[in-house]
Amino acid sequence: MVEAPMTVTRRAARLGLYAILAAVAFIYLMPVWVMLITSLKDVEEIRSGNLLSLPSSLNFDAWVTAWGSACAGSSCEGISSYFWNSFQIVIPAVIISTLLGALNGYVLSFWRFRGSELMFGLLLVGCFIPLQVILLPMARTLAFFGLANSTPGLVLVHVIVGTGFTTMFFRNFYIGLPQELIKAAKLDGAGFFFIFRRVVLPLSTPIIVVTVIWQFTQIWNDFLLGIVYSGAETQPVTVALNNLVNTSFGGKQYNVDMAAALIAALPTLIVYMVAGKYFVKGLTAGAVKG
Amino acid sequence: MAALTIENAVKNYGQGDILKGINISIESGEFLILVGPSGCGKSTLMNMIAGLETVTSGRILMGDDDVTNVQPKDRDIAMVFQSYALYPNMSVAENIAFGLEIRKVPKHERAQEVERVAKLLQIEHLLDRKPGQLSGGQRQRVAMGRALARRPRLYLFDEPLSNLDAKLRVEMRTEIKKLHQNLGTTIVYVTHDQIEAMTLADRIAVMKDGIVQQFGTPQEIYNDPNNQFVAGFMGSPAMNFIPAKLAGTAAAVTVEVTDANGAVQQLPVPNSAALASQIGNEVVLGLRPEKITEPLPHKEADPMVTHLPMKVLVTEPTGADTMVVSELNGTQVDCRLGPRFDVTPGAAADLMVDMSLAVFFDKATGERIDR
Amino acid sequence: MNQQTNTAGRSINSAALSPLARLQQALADQLPKLVMAPTFLIIFVCIYGYIGWTFLLSLTKSRILPVWKFVGFEQYEKLFMNDRWMVSLENLVIFSFLFIALCLLIGMVLAVLLDQKIRNEGFIRGIYLYPMAISFIVTGTAWKWLMNPSLGLEKMMHDWGWTSFSFDWLVDPDMVVYTLVIAAVWQSSGFVMALFIAGLRGVDDEMIKAAKLDGASMPTIYRRIILPSLKPVFFSCFVILSHIAIKSFDLVAALTGGGPGYASDLPANFMYAHAFTRGQMGLGAASAMVMLGGVLAILVPYLYSELRGKKHG
Repeated sequence: MVEAPMTVTRRAARLGLYAILAAVAFIYLMPVWVMLITSLKDVEEIRSGNLLSLPSSLNFDAWVTAWGSACAGSSCEGISSYFWNSFQIVIPAVIISTLLGALNGYVLSFWRFRGSELMFGLLLVGCFIPLQVILLPMARTLAFFGLANSTPGLVLVHVIVGTGFTTMFFRNFYIGLPQELIKAAKLDGAGFFFIFRRVVLPLSTPIIVVTVIWQFTQIWNDFLLGIVYSGAETQPVTVALNNLVNTSFGGKQYNVDMAAALIAALPTLIVYMVAGKYFVKGLTAGAVKG
Repeated sequence: MAALTIENAVKNYGQGDILKGINISIESGEFLILVGPSGCGKSTLMNMIAGLETVTSGRILMGDDDVTNVQPKDRDIAMVFQSYALYPNMSVAENIAFGLEIRKVPKHERAQEVERVAKLLQIEHLLDRKPGQLSGGQRQRVAMGRALARRPRLYLFDEPLSNLDAKLRVEMRTEIKKLHQNLGTTIVYVTHDQIEAMTLADRIAVMKDGIVQQFGTPQEIYNDPNNQFVAGFMGSPAMNFIPAKLAGTAAAVTVEVTDANGAVQQLPVPNSAALASQIGNEVVLGLRPEKITEPLPHKEADPMVTHLPMKVLVTEPTGADTMVVSELNGTQVDCRLGPRFDVTPGAAADLMVDMSLAVFFDKATGERIDR
Repeated sequence: MNQQTNTAGRSINSAALSPLARLQQALADQLPKLVMAPTFLIIFVCIYGYIGWTFLLSLTKSRILPVWKFVGFEQYEKLFMNDRWMVSLENLVIFSFLFIALCLLIGMVLAVLLDQKIRNEGFIRGIYLYPMAISFIVTGTAWKWLMNPSLGLEKMMHDWGWTSFSFDWLVDPDMVVYTLVIAAVWQSSGFVMALFIAGLRGVDDEMIKAAKLDGASMPTIYRRIILPSLKPVFFSCFVILSHIAIKSFDLVAALTGGGPGYASDLPANFMYAHAFTRGQMGLGAASAMVMLGGVLAILVPYLYSELRGKKHG
């Protein structure tokens, strides 16, 4: 492509454009920057300085406290155990819901039966209902099966809530694969699971990555299901963080709050930095297609 | 023994029949082509033969076996798809061996078979590549290789050449014909290209609106079409359809055309007996372009041949011959002339009309009336 | 049934299969449905069944435990007499309108700005989008600190010499709902930008070239050709954002706790409070059903037009 020669006004416009973009970037970055520097100050520095004043020295005390000894609700053991709780919930829930979604998407794309389209429609609508309308019956059901306040119970709820989305992701991806591929495999003599394992799954890497990232962020960041269905011992980190911040036991320790918040945000932020491209794909999946 | 028999097959998706009672039977080693415009049901019929779609009513037999309700994998059929449908994650060799692997053929036999097929199709140098690294023609060969490797009872080709460019298409057409002749395989082949149908087939089924309009050899279809649709669909340029009136006597029926000078001429009719009752009726005369030529000395004595002054509207030299657009009874008519015969657009020319293979259709229904 | 047996040396006759093989065949035919069985259960029991259950609960006097004594629509009447519920509805209207409008505006503008062949576009886009990866609880915690009436933005401005600056919305019952808007827009506007960029990249290049040859300036091309062609993206964003707004619960919990008093409650918080902490199950169920109604009022026309559009196009 041949670039048009830059006139003075054009150059000024470009400069202005970059200035605007930089200013906006500053606004988006500011909250996390403030969190970070606040978490490195001590309480005295917080009172004397302001949001953007830098800490005089790197002081990780607040991080240590947040991790191991800060009070959230009635217990004062930091958020470390809740952090691991979250992983115990997230890992099985992501695996199960992704697997179910892949199988569902496979059936709905290549093994349609009478009513399968209707099922997909019902599932899609199910993705968008407010969770509030299923909270109460779900609580009764979990109690009935003895799963109330337990990690398996929370995993189950996340699978139920997430399968609609994972199915939608896989279905929309598989529908773009050529139907003839499956026909060819059927004529080659391959059965349902064989085709899935040998033909479809090897082509699914991109959508698996998108789905896993999406489910990971959704479930890690969940608060509503966590606060409703977890017990004191099984709380995910978001619930613990909220308790920690709202525990007014002694003076407010903003540095500890910020350190705890950063710890809670860290896993999804790391995922975002490593695989942001796929995260965007997950977010835009379906929305742009429609 | 019939290799494939389709008995009264009907397909219905809930709103009207897609296929309305198909009857076709081919012998072992025959090359059957299903041809017709898009939406005629030819692909549905092929999928039913493969077992990829259910049969609403009727039967499909392979040899003596009723396979109507047999799973595709148990039918012993291989199919070459329009998009080739190669497994993108497997190498060419793995693609070819996949069907054998599922059928638990031992590894060394698989390797032998891959080698044999690769040699046959001259794709030995491609065996380690992935389908994404192949050109269209190479993919086509691999797709055929995948089908050949299993040595199935029946091969299905679903418009296999339509994604290739014109030159490659002709090349692969020859290749397929050679394979068929050398291996003696039974093939069902779907296409909408009537030239492919004419060149490849032993038997052609011309389909329209879910009905087989005619089932026969290429020659039968070309020279003795059942109706105006078949006559018009097969052949390029298409058959001329000239509205005309029958005249003459019961012993020698003629058809009236108006020549370039405005004079009414009587052309002879090959089968007077069948048309005697229609004398005086308006009918449609079907005449292939190659039957209107420059005067050919060796045909002068033929009683079915007449000289006719015709007005030249447009000339289209193609090299091998010259297509001339003329006019008869108010309808444009294509004529095929030798390249050396000089004609001038706008002037009249003395042309020769050979009526020996002329056909006649009912004006309203388009059905043949001269048989 | 035909009675021929195998003559070709390899029979493929379905009638010739053994009973065991036929059982396997039948199983294989049903396999896709079997695989979907857990999902059947989820859909029909855990989604639609539970909605029915919640609806029934909303017709009862249930308090801490379900009591199956039906009182008709009494809970709904109570709900709309309830001042806290009406405040939460009012907040929802203000919050949704501003949240959706600002997200759309900011997201669209950023997308257009980023569409000008910007160097390091991917990096900048990453900065605008990262808040979407963070939990609303973290967002709430962060902005609670930023907007802290004594130590936050206000103090920073004072330090910088703007001593008359005052920013105490977090404790001002009339303004607190706007703090929710600020934090939510910060978190979600990048998402709208991402969708619009994806949409912009999908616009036919030749259409833009044609418009340029017609003599249209770039702003005109955006206004008259490109943005109108992104109507479906606009629509999708609207639906997703309104869905986020109606479900908003975490942000309120973390940023304001619904306070001061219940000045910043949203319906989701009302539902949680009554169903799970205040022992008003019937009332909570009724509020959940009203929320569902709100979502469906937006979703059904959307899905309807989507499906119709697909069929015709």
